[in-house]
Amino acid sequence: MEQKIKDIISAFEKDLSDVDNPQSLEDLRIKYFSRNGLLSNLFEDFKNLPKEEKPKYGQLLNITKKEAQEKFEQLKKNLANNLDTQKRFVDLSLPGREQTIGSEHIISQTIDNISSIFKGLGFSVYVGPELESDENNFESLNFPPDHPARDMQDTFFINDKFLLRTHTSPVQIRLMKEKKPPIRAIMPGKVYRNEAISAKSYCLFHQIEGLYIDTDVTFAELKGTLVYFAKKLYGQNVKYRFRSSFFPFTEPSAEVDIWWQPKGKEGRWLEILGCGMVDPNVLDNVGIDSEKYTGYAFGMGVERMALLKYGISDIRLFFDNDYRFLQQF
Amino acid sequence: MKISLNWIKDYINLNDISVDEIVEKLTTSGLEIEEVIDEAKNFENIVIGFVKEVKKHPNADKLSLCIVNDGQEDFHVVCGAPNVAEGQKAVFAKVGAELPGAGFKLKKAKIRGEFSFGMLCAEDELGLSNNHDGIIVLDESAEVGKPFSEVLNKNDVILDIAVTPNRADALSHIGVARDLAALFDRELVLPEIKLQENEKEVGELAKVIVENEIDCPRYVAKVVTDIEIAESPEWLKKKLLSIDLRPINNIVDVTNFVLHEFGQPLHAFDLDLLADKTIVVKNVERNTKFTTLDAKERILEETDLMICDAEKPVAIAGVMGGENSEVTENTKNILIESAFFRPSAIRKTSKRLGLSTDASFRFERGCNPEITIQAANRVAQLISEIAKGKIAKGELDIYPNKIEPKVVALRFSRLNKVLGFEVAKDEVLGMFKKLQFQLVESDENKSSFEVPLFRHDIEREIDLIEEVARIFGFARIPAVEKISVALEEKIDQTKFDFKLRRQLTGLGYYEIITNSLLNEDNAGYFDNPISVLSPQTIEMSHARTSLIPGMLQTISRNIRVKEKNLKLFEIGHVFKLNNGNEVNSFDDITENEHLLIAVTGKKFESVWYDEDTKFDFYDLVGTVDEILKKNSFDKYLSDNYILDEDKVFDFHIEKKFKKEVVIVGGKVKKKLLSKYEIDQDVFLFDFNLDLLQKINTGEPAYHDLLKFPKVVRDFAFILDKNILYIDVVSEIKKGSSKLLKKIKLFDIFESESLGAGKKSMAFQLEYYDEARTLTEEEIEKDFWNVIERIKSKFNAELRGS
Repeated sequence: MEQKIKDIISAFEKDLSDVDNPQSLEDLRIKYFSRNGLLSNLFEDFKNLPKEEKPKYGQLLNITKKEAQEKFEQLKKNLANNLDTQKRFVDLSLPGREQTIGSEHIISQTIDNISSIFKGLGFSVYVGPELESDENNFESLNFPPDHPARDMQDTFFINDKFLLRTHTSPVQIRLMKEKKPPIRAIMPGKVYRNEAISAKSYCLFHQIEGLYIDTDVTFAELKGTLVYFAKKLYGQNVKYRFRSSFFPFTEPSAEVDIWWQPKGKEGRWLEILGCGMVDPNVLDNVGIDSEKYTGYAFGMGVERMALLKYGISDIRLFFDNDYRFLQQF
Repeated sequence: MKISLNWIKDYINLNDISVDEIVEKLTTSGLEIEEVIDEAKNFENIVIGFVKEVKKHPNADKLSLCIVNDGQEDFHVVCGAPNVAEGQKAVFAKVGAELPGAGFKLKKAKIRGEFSFGMLCAEDELGLSNNHDGIIVLDESAEVGKPFSEVLNKNDVILDIAVTPNRADALSHIGVARDLAALFDRELVLPEIKLQENEKEVGELAKVIVENEIDCPRYVAKVVTDIEIAESPEWLKKKLLSIDLRPINNIVDVTNFVLHEFGQPLHAFDLDLLADKTIVVKNVERNTKFTTLDAKERILEETDLMICDAEKPVAIAGVMGGENSEVTENTKNILIESAFFRPSAIRKTSKRLGLSTDASFRFERGCNPEITIQAANRVAQLISEIAKGKIAKGELDIYPNKIEPKVVALRFSRLNKVLGFEVAKDEVLGMFKKLQFQLVESDENKSSFEVPLFRHDIEREIDLIEEVARIFGFARIPAVEKISVALEEKIDQTKFDFKLRRQLTGLGYYEIITNSLLNEDNAGYFDNPISVLSPQTIEMSHARTSLIPGMLQTISRNIRVKEKNLKLFEIGHVFKLNNGNEVNSFDDITENEHLLIAVTGKKFESVWYDEDTKFDFYDLVGTVDEILKKNSFDKYLSDNYILDEDKVFDFHIEKKFKKEVVIVGGKVKKKLLSKYEIDQDVFLFDFNLDLLQKINTGEPAYHDLLKFPKVVRDFAFILDKNILYIDVVSEIKKGSSKLLKKIKLFDIFESESLGAGKKSMAFQLEYYDEARTLTEEEIEKDFWNVIERIKSKFNAELRGS
């Protein structure tokens, strides 16, 4: 009896594996599960067994039949699924319903990138008004009236006391007047220059300035910080130099150049930012003891950074807001 | 400023130092070289060649095959010039040469089947003239192989330096040489001035009176008589030409030369044209007219410092001389002015007149009061040498209050504190000596220096520290490898803006940045605008009072390039005058940050899944509602609906916080759009972000997740068409208990079957309680209560009943 059960099951499994369409599935059902099917016949044989063997085979038969039925149902389901797929047609290659993720203006993205680097170094971010007083924009920053240094920036004056800020430095002045050191902050924002509009210059642009004032701030720290920044932005192998320069509000003052190597063209030094130690006059002007505290400041033009990074040759593109331009970033 | 390296070498020996090194050192120490013009480089690979052999080209009648020797090797050269002949010495451009007159790089070429390794040049190809008659044939004595640049004497290197306003001392060849002396630790050799003065005292020939001693602290005059005006000698013309100065005559050229040598501006007057042979330095009456050397009439202010003679003005001090006393070809006797004027006085006049000259540029930055006599003597010496003049004995020197040099101390500890690195004391002392600072006293801790009078930029210790950094080079300052961060409160005032940017871009909008300066018409359309003084164009004469013009300009520009379907936003400042027209304090102006969102064109345009659909007002309202909700402002704002047209909108919504309008938005009216040549609908919303951020929304609160079922009920009413959605909603709220949590309008339509002037609105109401399961009875009660209220309030009919 036991052998017979085994034979039937192994035959069933073989037949099962051969089933690949509804017809052969139906044949299988009739062969094993119909009233005269092979499995049903086993139960007929069972009836004829001696009484003492019945408990042993009864259980075995029931389990065997149940397992076989489960296998059959599973196969039936699989077969049905396959058939479904074969029957319907879906063009999976159609384009999806259009959805758009817009984008921040490339200038905002650049500000965000630069700010993130400095925020990571413990800088706060402050902003201020664009329409400023001459005092905040020039005088407190050590630009005396009637000084040639004022020629460095063509200014949009409102009158002799007010103007459109030429740099974000007045935010530094406001901050220093309001807060006690330590102060470590960057100031992004729009600045204005009364210049003719061309591919190279626009009447406004964006700046990010930085300021750090504490009891032990040195040029060596400024240098370390800006080198870290330049490497973050232009790669760890960036070649740079610090070049002596002049800004009324810092002393010593320097400009930072990086070596720019366009493909297939001659390389050259390109200025990326200005920096220096905050001039003691500026600290005194805002009531910070310049003997006790030292500080550094730096500033950079955001458009310039973006022009460089993306190889854009005309600054006006930033302010034309052509959709075809906006969509590229 | 142009500086000639050959000229510089008159004062310092730099023969063993390459141009690149000089450029690098000057640039990093603060004299930024913007351009290097290497004259010889233009003639690289162009040498004197010997024409050994000339044969006819086998395939071309007009060409010759030549063998040219460059002093070392023979080259095959094809030549088309009619005058080429054996035995000539000619200008031979080898392969690799870039011909100055032709603008291309010479390559090996095959000309009618014959190879040519270079060419013999005509004058035009070298950029010497337009002559192309034949090749240049040089003198027999020409040395074969010698670079042609040497034949032409083109061996100078010109540096174009951007001098920062603090460095008045560097505005001359000697000034730059002085920096080089410190940078390369070399000796500076000043020109030796030897005067052969005659017996006649200068005082017998001329007189100087300084009435305004404040603006003219020192005035030196020297007289040279019996001069012969002529063209300058070659060496002088060449020096001037090398720095782009046009030679005029031997007198003017000498004053220009000494200006660029010492940095001291000088002026030569025709002594015989000065009334009473007298110079009076003073101010003149307002509105006095005066014609300067450039033949322009200038109208003077009483603050302008003038050089006058006994009767009339003869020069604008420190800016430009006058026509009436100009040196001409008839001039015999001259008075040389070498003065020191107060920088801000000169600057004021020069600025006001819009007249910047080599002289004013230097005077307004500060000259050296101590060099005046030396410079005048240098001019007199050169004039006597090249214009045969006789130098009167001595000089007139009006210097009532001698300017004393400052003494400034440098503490070595402070140097270290500012720069963060130590420099050896000896090195520091040596450097200042090279820069011509006198050491006054020195000990272990500090040294004091007398600052030379040409260094107007050095007054304080920090200025000395800068000199150390500048001359030793910032490259020597180490970059720290770690920093410490103070743990004061960190603030990010741009956080909200960037959050809005993220949210709006997530909703498919693109950010724009437009010009804050507009013409008066556009800026003044919305509010009282602030004007700027002397803008570049009238298109940028006023600060914007609204972001709308910039947005409409952007839309218009994009439509012109066929980008018609746009979702845009801008975050920026707007400005207005509060009252009156004057800005005397910050109280007179309002500057606010705004956000403007706009949509225009089509949402879907010929796509497979939808028909053409234009953006409408509700697309934008959806954006605004979501932004307000996401930032928790929605609960604090109340709406005003305005169907009447105003200046900007066809219809619009105002959103108020308390009594202030914070947000305005609607459909832009056609009349405004047509000003910008836009012929499609534009919807926009303008947010005053400063006012919006005044709303204290607190942090978003967490609510437990709902554990009990929600129940929904739908109904639809037929009611009058002009009943507002918001009024129905408010009535639903009024008629409901707190179990009603959400109201959704899921359908709205008008049709003939509803009757004229009627519409159908279908709502879904959602009920639940956080603490329990609701019973059927209580919901039914709530629901029917609402229905009855709406029916009676709006005379509405419940549909399907």
